[in-house]
Amino acid sequence: MAKLLLKKLYKRYSNKHSKLQNDFAVNDFSLECNDGEFVGILGPSGCGKTTTLRMIAGLEDITAGDIFIGNTRINDLHPKDRQIGLAFEDYALYPPLNVYDNIAFNLRAKKVKEADILSEIKRIAPLLKVDDLLDSRPVSLSGGQKQRVNIARAVIRKPKLLLLDEPLSHLDGKMRQVLRTEIKRLHKEINCTTIIVTHDQLEAMSLADRIAIMKDGKLQQYGTPLEIYNYPVNEFVAGFIGEPPMNIMTVTVSKTDGVFFFNFSGTDVSIPVPTQYYPHVQEGGTVRFGIRPSDVLIGQQSSMGSMVQVAVFENLGEECRISIRVGDDYLTMTTSEEIRYRQGDVIKLVVKSDRIHLFNPVSGDRLGEKI
Amino acid sequence: MACIELTHISKQFRKYFALDDVSFQVNDKEFFVLFGPTGAGKTTVLKTIAGIESPDEGNVKIDNEIVNLIEPAYRNVSMVFENYALYPHFSVYDNIASPMRSPLHKTDEETIHKEVHRTAAMLKIEHLLDRLPSQISNGQKQRVAIGRCLVRKPNVFLMDEPLAHLDAKLRHFMRAELKEMQANFDTTTIYVTHDYLEALSLGNRIAVINRGQIEQIGTANEVYYTPVNQFTARLFGEPEINIFGIELIECENGPKIKMLNNEHFFDLEPDVVKVLSEQNVHDLNLGIRGTCISYSFAKEEDNFFDGTVYSLEPIGNKSILIVDIDGERIRIIAPNDLHAELDSPIFLKFDLKKALFFDRTSEEFIIRHNQAHYIGGLI
Repeated sequence: MAKLLLKKLYKRYSNKHSKLQNDFAVNDFSLECNDGEFVGILGPSGCGKTTTLRMIAGLEDITAGDIFIGNTRINDLHPKDRQIGLAFEDYALYPPLNVYDNIAFNLRAKKVKEADILSEIKRIAPLLKVDDLLDSRPVSLSGGQKQRVNIARAVIRKPKLLLLDEPLSHLDGKMRQVLRTEIKRLHKEINCTTIIVTHDQLEAMSLADRIAIMKDGKLQQYGTPLEIYNYPVNEFVAGFIGEPPMNIMTVTVSKTDGVFFFNFSGTDVSIPVPTQYYPHVQEGGTVRFGIRPSDVLIGQQSSMGSMVQVAVFENLGEECRISIRVGDDYLTMTTSEEIRYRQGDVIKLVVKSDRIHLFNPVSGDRLGEKI
Repeated sequence: MACIELTHISKQFRKYFALDDVSFQVNDKEFFVLFGPTGAGKTTVLKTIAGIESPDEGNVKIDNEIVNLIEPAYRNVSMVFENYALYPHFSVYDNIASPMRSPLHKTDEETIHKEVHRTAAMLKIEHLLDRLPSQISNGQKQRVAIGRCLVRKPNVFLMDEPLAHLDAKLRHFMRAELKEMQANFDTTTIYVTHDYLEALSLGNRIAVINRGQIEQIGTANEVYYTPVNQFTARLFGEPEINIFGIELIECENGPKIKMLNNEHFFDLEPDVVKVLSEQNVHDLNLGIRGTCISYSFAKEEDNFFDGTVYSLEPIGNKSILIVDIDGERIRIIAPNDLHAELDSPIFLKFDLKKALFFDRTSEEFIIRHNQAHYIGGLI
């Protein structure tokens, strides 16, 4: 249990044939995780998240920057001396050994007494629900069980830091949900500083206390799931987080009687610009407009809104999604009410004006209120 | 334009039954979804219709004509694969035109030009016609693959997980696109997927398939609100439906239920009581979805259940709240800004009007309150 600090971390692969030759796989990446905190590193494939994790574990050289665990700089420490527990997406269990011996393996390598190993396994096995499997061989285990054993093996050494690399991505949907919950519970029980690397935003959102979002080797935003959901710093983060994804489209700004309006291409829809955004818009200009599907509503007769035609109606059980056409894009809204529409029906579209996000059309940066 | 009928189709790969007595009928112009977990036999059904696999037993009929012995090329079916299978050295135009240039469907270039542009306009890929497959995105490739199938006006359109390779964001968009295009298809379509959202969204009817057998065929409302068994109920919805055992207690004024070790007796709706007593089932399971449970952090009326917060997982616009009641984990949908310490006390109330009742032994569905309302398509 310890604090983790990454200071201006860089990584360049020196492979001659690599396209990244003049490019950093990890670029000026700084991160601070508090003692006992659960942090998610989230990003699309190739964003440098696994490279970062491998540098922390000591499996990859650090091009520049420092890594501290507690007050110790660990850059030059051998991986085995860093007191880190590591679980990869592909379990990598020893096939000839049974579950007990797999979990015990690292402790035996450290010459821990058998009696102590037994008591440790008795403590950890129930937490990961592998106590009934201790005599089984890996071949007879399901994917979910193998991953439990793999994680048990990582936490048994009482690491200062637990690193999980896409631990759920090999599992099918149902198992993934179950193990996601188990990992959350495990973290509460052992309260070890934990980093999970994932490309799945649901996984990061549901597990982590704070999420670091990476793109092209660079940190985009670091904050709690709700902060990132409500105040994404740029268009990339806004589009990456949330299911269904945020509606983001280019709108033109017009001015009538001193009031600014957003106009949506190919429709009659125009929405008054909230006054706090007035400094960021100009008549005739364009801006990237973002709104989450849950922040678009179907208006009652009396409410202010634009009349639009339903392009797609989907009843998905827990919720319904209604999409309308805006140029080549859809504007999608979700509702949990039991309503039914057909293609071509006319509804009144109401946008929660305090939930509008605006982004710079060139840089993609958030305009207006930030955290 | 065709209707398709499969009668008692079985197919064995060595000792493994891939399909076991599969029968269904697809109506003309219907969008029919085959839905099930991996390895259920969905793709084998599709290949059997296309003629790529031949059944050991049973018949495939297209427009009432048995086609078992007809070569795939002469069946006039058209298939979209999961991995697009575009010709990499052909432009988008030539890829879409390729079926019309095949010896079998040879068409003059003028018609081809017209048809390619008509299809491309519908799929919004007109501006990409000169590009090579390597120069377009995955979503665009998928549209080209669909275009190539649409262009020759097949009798039947077969789609094998066409959206499975796309990322979540694009999948949401393409699903909506497909649904919007569907109105202009008027070609009988059979669509294979393992994603319940696609099945509910797109299908006029859905066939749920498991281990080579059809479990249920019905509209989206029917399979979601009145699943034939616990297996089907669990396939639709996230989080998974809660299913647990309940006790049926005979009281003076009719049967009541007890559950989750709570001392309270809960009333049943009259229509549910009627069916339960007719069927004389005593070992019951209750199924209830995460949207039909309310929670409170303070003790309220006595029909609330005491539990503890087992896990709270925010997933964007909502959270999944898992509550432990006497060892049973109940999954609930909660708002995304909910804060709760793990293991803190919480109280739940179930909306039993929306509960499903199953036979605990056979796991088959028995009844839900107001059942006709859901099947009749009123909702």
